[in-house]
Amino acid sequence: MAANDRGATDIAIVGFAQSQSVRDAAPSEVQLLVPVVADAITAAGIERSDIGFTCAGSCDYLTGGPFAFVSNLEAAGAWPPISESHVEADGAWAMYEAWMRLQEGDIDVALAFGSGKSSPSNPAEVWAQQLDPYYLAPLGVDPVSLAGIQAQALIDAGKATERDFATVVADSRRNAKSNPNAQLSGDYDVDALLAEPYYRRPLRKHDVPPISDAAVAVIMARGDKARELCERPAWIRGMDHRIEAHQPGLRDITSSASTTLAARKAGYDGGPLDVVELSSTFSPQEIILKNAIGLGAGVNVNPSGGPLAANPIMAVGLIRIVEAASRIIDGTANRALAHATSGPLLQQNLVCLLEGE
Amino acid sequence: MSDQTQTEKENLVMEHLVSLTYRERLTPNLNRFVDELLEGRLVGHKCPSCGRVYLPSKGYCPMCVVATSAEDEVEVPDTGTVTGFTIVTPVAYYGQQETEPFVFASVLLDGADTPLNGQDVTGLPHDQLRTGLRVKAKWKPKDQRSAEGISNRGWGSMGTVVDSFEATGEPDASEELFKDHIF
Repeated sequence: MAANDRGATDIAIVGFAQSQSVRDAAPSEVQLLVPVVADAITAAGIERSDIGFTCAGSCDYLTGGPFAFVSNLEAAGAWPPISESHVEADGAWAMYEAWMRLQEGDIDVALAFGSGKSSPSNPAEVWAQQLDPYYLAPLGVDPVSLAGIQAQALIDAGKATERDFATVVADSRRNAKSNPNAQLSGDYDVDALLAEPYYRRPLRKHDVPPISDAAVAVIMARGDKARELCERPAWIRGMDHRIEAHQPGLRDITSSASTTLAARKAGYDGGPLDVVELSSTFSPQEIILKNAIGLGAGVNVNPSGGPLAANPIMAVGLIRIVEAASRIIDGTANRALAHATSGPLLQQNLVCLLEGE
Repeated sequence: MSDQTQTEKENLVMEHLVSLTYRERLTPNLNRFVDELLEGRLVGHKCPSCGRVYLPSKGYCPMCVVATSAEDEVEVPDTGTVTGFTIVTPVAYYGQQETEPFVFASVLLDGADTPLNGQDVTGLPHDQLRTGLRVKAKWKPKDQRSAEGISNRGWGSMGTVVDSFEATGEPDASEELFKDHIF
């Protein structure tokens, strides 16, 4: 029984792929997914028929296509029929469901993917609709305005300065120079960034992520199957997600209690981390998340550039996990933490702790 | 239930009118399809793996899960077979512009594996409409064609380019030829 339990929970990422994030992709969302899923399968060295469970994450509101998520499944190859599920959430939550499914112990390989094309919509219009229908949605409060309120609260609480925000941006864009999938990259001077006009005070345009289209896929395998498929699998030591009150007015928006809890439940004990990938959609959120997880100075945060360099909603969280896993698989990191978020102002948070053998 | 309760309940209603605007270009494969369609040619993609012909193309074969491209383009004739139909009797709901019963038929073009849905069929009375019926596209004059109504959503029809599919009078096609290509 004990051996079974251990076998059932020994699960690793053994292959992955992602598309380049772009401002406005001409192909359909399924067309973005077709090569990404195929590349992840090739990278894992498996056949499509080896996959015991598939879970997808996407949001029909992005392209405005009713049941768009159904056609996305065609990228997985759904004939003959397969065992599959969909979450109206970031691909990181699809991965969570697939990881749970693998723990049942009766299948060895699972596929999870996330995709999103934000380009056809006006995100400020769409995302106002996820707020409560009585107070905030009728006001049409958009994510950027909410993030501005959060940033001001952070400054008022003495937890950060506008310079801190600009530093996050400069670091993100510098790191993104080595990420071929990023949209925004380059060398930026903090003082020059601070000289830019306000966009939503105290946020400047660069504190806000770009609008992005992209797709990402991961293959997970269990126990010996993972070792057989991958020389150095990225073992999932823990994964947990927690939810706070929907209404931002009911929370302390300068901290993230759900991230703290998710990190602890995922098994993060405060020890050293070689890589951290955070879904810090707006620059002040990187400061909030670092505090919530308990990351000290000198931790390598968002070596990919993070969401400020490319923000394909519904893929961006799973991309964080892939960026962390890739550094374990290639041997440059041994312990990594990845974070995904959902809902207004860090309402839901998922933490995934990954380790090498 | 008293009238007063009714009124109180009505007062609980809060109107929240939402308008979301989406703007998108046709996908590259659909754009090619429309360009050819406006010229009176029906061009789809033939899967390099299984040989199925998709019209219009999705840019991939969902059965083999391989991408298709301009290299896989094939032209099919404008003749085909009705594989399914319904006769819609319109009721006057908001947005309904039809007043008389109309046809919503699936037409499998010769050489294609996917039928064109939502097509009008003319040239015979509605009560004689049947699967297996042979039809040919009745194109609009070139200067009256438009791509309006054709979208990435796949729910547009070709009504802005082809007026209808008209019965040819040929003998009906055998069910064996189209039974695997109904949808």
